[in-house]
Amino acid sequence: MQNIEQRSDKHESTFNNIIKFKSLLENQVYKKIAYILLLLFSVFLPNIVNNMYYMGIINYMILYAILCMGLNLILGYTGLLSLGHAAFYGLGGYTTAILITRYDFGFLPCLILSGIIALLFGILLGLPTRKVRGDYFCLLTIAFGEIFRLVAQAWIDFTNGAMGIVGIPIPQIFGWSIRTETDFYYLGLILLTFTFITLSLLVNSKFGRAFIAIREDELAASVMGINTAVYKIIVFGIGCFYAGLAGSYLAVYQTTITPSNFRLEESCLMIIMVIVGGMGSLLAPIAGVVVMTIATEYFRDIAEYRMLIIGVIMVTVLLFRPQGIFGTSAFKS
Amino acid sequence: MSLLAAKTIGKKFGGVIALNDVSLNVEQGEIIGMIGPNGSGKTTFINNLSGLYAPTTGQFIFNGENITGLAAHVITGKGISRTFQNLRVFPNISVLENVLIGLHCRIDVSLWDVYFGFVKTRKIEKQAREKAMDVLAIADLASRKNDLAKNLPYGKQRLLEICRAIVSDPHLLLLDEPCAGMNPVEMDDLAKFIRILQKKGITVFVIEHNMRFIMSVAERIVVLANGSKFQEGTPAQIQNDKKVQAIYLGDEGEL
Repeated sequence: MQNIEQRSDKHESTFNNIIKFKSLLENQVYKKIAYILLLLFSVFLPNIVNNMYYMGIINYMILYAILCMGLNLILGYTGLLSLGHAAFYGLGGYTTAILITRYDFGFLPCLILSGIIALLFGILLGLPTRKVRGDYFCLLTIAFGEIFRLVAQAWIDFTNGAMGIVGIPIPQIFGWSIRTETDFYYLGLILLTFTFITLSLLVNSKFGRAFIAIREDELAASVMGINTAVYKIIVFGIGCFYAGLAGSYLAVYQTTITPSNFRLEESCLMIIMVIVGGMGSLLAPIAGVVVMTIATEYFRDIAEYRMLIIGVIMVTVLLFRPQGIFGTSAFKS
Repeated sequence: MSLLAAKTIGKKFGGVIALNDVSLNVEQGEIIGMIGPNGSGKTTFINNLSGLYAPTTGQFIFNGENITGLAAHVITGKGISRTFQNLRVFPNISVLENVLIGLHCRIDVSLWDVYFGFVKTRKIEKQAREKAMDVLAIADLASRKNDLAKNLPYGKQRLLEICRAIVSDPHLLLLDEPCAGMNPVEMDDLAKFIRILQKKGITVFVIEHNMRFIMSVAERIVVLANGSKFQEGTPAQIQNDKKVQAIYLGDEGEL
């Protein structure tokens, strides 16, 4: 009897500790300190990790983190399922690759233009959300993704077809030439910080609330004075902008771009990362990115079974935490 | 001039005539009730008024302006808010955020301000939060501002939905069966709340099936039957009207 009481006491105290921890994080000062510590850790990470192979994996994680945070805005906040996100990623990649290799653009203008072109095409694909809803819209995004890949493959004069564009030169920003894995890490970190700051400004404004309202109940949202058609187009454009940035980063990082970088599988992988990490919270998708990247790298020897492993991880996570690792309760089944 | 004038409103869904030449006036500051048997077109009427449908014939003149057939979000901006018959709070976000979404059309922040004017944005956000908290305080929900909306009891969710509708300072509030599923105590609370709103200068248009509630709250009642306006008068007049009794209870002669 005593034993049980003691145990329940212990249980309660851990529970209280968790609550305390949560309320600590809600305190603005502690939150700021946590962010600063995280940033410091990120800045000094290359000094801790000396292995170039690991740095490469971390760079890919950053790349996917940017992609998934953008996708999360569309999928997690607004509730629109887009299976064509790889197309916008590819649009960014090809914009940078073509402008750098053929027209001798600097990297920075390429990066910005890649984002803007992905944004414009995002708005274009967002237009049909007015009439086409739910599953049908999802089909439309798959079609767009496939059309993009096929055009990139077939338009040989412009994109060099299935061979892709090779030999993208080392990027330079204000005299900083980005060569090593560590350099690319810092470039990625800057882009990721930019993504985080701009997204958190957006989601904490009336726009972010409007996106959530559309996800929760579109009809009620329109009665609240939210122009749902326009907001869905805006969210699509902005989400795709980050995909364009990530594509640009991929182009200079890999130094080659081929249509097979942007297959439907890639879109699916991003969605899985967002779902596993957790939808509807800004940083949660990063957890999904980390888990999925580490898992696929760890099981590299059996690469043919990659999709199988991804599937198992996804099912396991969804069984135990339907809302994803750090998701909000909105996605609890 | 009346706040709202509905002139010969008609709505057809294919061959079904849901509303037929309904005309009525809503005066500034009153509480007006609308009753009628199931399927008489009450909800269709306010769906037309709030912009979810466009009427087939007729006009809505609100504050001297023709608002017929405008989109729902535009009509909200002009000062008509509504609640829904089947409760539509945003379930997975906090009570405070629900109310802030209701304030959407009064928050004057553009995308440019979000990214480049965050001093201004922050100031406006802070004011919006204070305003939302004021409204929650009226409904006695302030202490539950961080709860998820879906975790509130049913009656409180109804109040929250009304809070969300009134936070944007509408001229006219449309309540579609606010009592559905409430117990008598919650109903009395709601009646009190509606009278507070009236004192704050909001004109209230209530659709309700519960006679006890509507007779105690409304100052004037419109009766709809089969999509047409059937009768109009004070609660006492409506209660004693033989024709109204007949549509609700059947004719004496038929028995």
